[in-house]
Amino acid sequence: MRFSTIDELASALQRESYLSDTGLATALYLALRLEKPLLLEGEAGVGKTEAAKALARATGARLIRLQCYEGLDVAHAVYEWNYARQLLHIRAAQEGTVVETELFGPEFLIRRPLLEAIESEEPVVLLIDEIDRADDEFEAFLLEILSDFQITIPELGTIAARRRPAVILTSNRTRELHDALKRRCLFHWIGHPSLEREIEIVRLRVPDVPERLAEQAARFVERLRTLDLAKPPGVAETIDWTQALAALGQRELVAGLVESTLGSVLKYHEDFQLVRDSDLVALVAEARGGR
Amino acid sequence: MAGSAVLRHVVTFGRVLREGGLEVGPGRLADALTGLDEVDLTRRDEVYWTLRTTLVTRREEIEAFDRAFDAWFLRAPVRPPLRVLERPRGQVPGGRRGDSAPAPAEGGGEGEAALGWSAEEWLRGKDFASMTPEELARARRLIAGAAASRPRRRSRRLRPHPRGRELDLRRLARSSLAGGGDPFDPRFRRRSEQPRKLVALCDVSGSMEAYSRALLLFLHALVGCGRGVEVFAFGTRLTRLTPELATRDPEQALERAAASVVDWASGTRIGASLKTFNDVWGRRAMSRGAVVLIVSDGWERQDASRVGPEMARLARAAYAVVWVNPLKGSPEYQPLAGGMRAALPYVDRFLAGHNVRSLEELAGVLAGIERRHAA
Repeated sequence: MRFSTIDELASALQRESYLSDTGLATALYLALRLEKPLLLEGEAGVGKTEAAKALARATGARLIRLQCYEGLDVAHAVYEWNYARQLLHIRAAQEGTVVETELFGPEFLIRRPLLEAIESEEPVVLLIDEIDRADDEFEAFLLEILSDFQITIPELGTIAARRRPAVILTSNRTRELHDALKRRCLFHWIGHPSLEREIEIVRLRVPDVPERLAEQAARFVERLRTLDLAKPPGVAETIDWTQALAALGQRELVAGLVESTLGSVLKYHEDFQLVRDSDLVALVAEARGGR
Repeated sequence: MAGSAVLRHVVTFGRVLREGGLEVGPGRLADALTGLDEVDLTRRDEVYWTLRTTLVTRREEIEAFDRAFDAWFLRAPVRPPLRVLERPRGQVPGGRRGDSAPAPAEGGGEGEAALGWSAEEWLRGKDFASMTPEELARARRLIAGAAASRPRRRSRRLRPHPRGRELDLRRLARSSLAGGGDPFDPRFRRRSEQPRKLVALCDVSGSMEAYSRALLLFLHALVGCGRGVEVFAFGTRLTRLTPELATRDPEQALERAAASVVDWASGTRIGASLKTFNDVWGRRAMSRGAVVLIVSDGWERQDASRVGPEMARLARAAYAVVWVNPLKGSPEYQPLAGGMRAALPYVDRFLAGHNVRSLEELAGVLAGIERRHAA
């Protein structure tokens, strides 16, 4: 599906339960129109991965996801030969009749996410998740793919993309990425949303949530972010928590239940203690009190 | 189509950004122009976000971009960036020594002429605090030489190796072609070794002044050893020095470091500085799996009770924690300073680092360090 304005894309995303602000919508729109990869950075839990998933649904494209980790190499990211089949094939054939070109043909190729995205006939959103976890060598390799959208397999030759996939890279900034990679990409920083938007997001993602609960939970989490926490909660945590509270049949925040469910918001023991030691009752009252 | 007026606008804006310190190449400007073709130019937010998405590459640049955007497109009066104005030009610590410096007492007879092996050995054992600027300059090469090795870790990446454990199937399949499918020539791969991340936090407060210069020279040499080394300075606050130390020339590197640290030779807030590190950098997993090297005499001027919890956080993420305290070079030294006492339970190795020889020992420890605690 093509979008002719940013607003059109934003409302298509919203139909897929993803609320974007103008900044993110513009970034995604430009990534589609300029056919350039988009690098999304931001704290954990602000919806970077979710944005790529929603974009795939909104554009009717297939989502191909490559989760990065240290030591990720070509065999797991691009392609690998099916060695077992190759060896069986050599065995089954009569001795001396197998030639190398036969053995390294497409039917022996195992396609990994990057090759799959390049080869795909249908539209694709390629999500390269947490690129900062991969190592330098992989980043350098990725550079090649992202600039030409083609992959060279020594035995088969060069495979060029039939249609360029929309590429979203995400990074939690555990380390700084290479400038060369950044230069290939559009860039957008996703911050924590405003209170109003966070309430909207929660209501969109937790369909039957009581309105008051959504509002108070969002306000409570926003207040938590102003405390001196090791890991301030993201929108993902707000959603999880509200879901938990709604599942427990809550219509409003109640101090006792806040304390027992806080584990879905705060992921560090120190943070948990800090919030419990600062006046939890007052914090809850503040969130319930409104404006 | 972007008219020539838009083109001129964007090109000039690019120049404004470059003056603001952003790296805006022609490629990015071309992206910005193509992007503007695609959006509604009458809408300020669309223009703003298009330019920001195409011209900004890191979060730190957003503020400068916003300032330039306001100035250029909204014709607001230009506000100069605050930090540049506030920052006094720093001085390299220890570059010029006061009268209080003790005269070179022992071995004074070994002058410039006798710079043989024994002079070098003597220099190796001399406390940095009692070195003259000339001696320190001569020790520079020795310090850099000490920093040659780095802690290593096993990489997840496999490389061909004759005594590896994992079968290299790709090469095996190829080599068995000739033998009709009999894998008679097994090939193996194994994990290779990679330098482990190293994060150094160097105390540059007044009480460390005699040592911080020598230790920064050591750290500069470590940064030069390759990627994955991060250096921070702290006194009353934390400053990241890695980019400043990335210059080849040590003198120039120290000068640039001095210019960016605002609190040379001031007091020390170890707890607060560690907290900043944990909050800002630790959260981004910089310390995870890293060897963390802290260089400080442990004199906490503010509140020693804050040091313990922050050290605990740091030690949990780190692979190992090494503390270098130049005072430990003295045989009578006892770790009585409050900050030091609070930190010690979380320290895996506690070393002196007061002269070249002890820096060499430090480098050896860094190269061979093992994880002490399992948790």
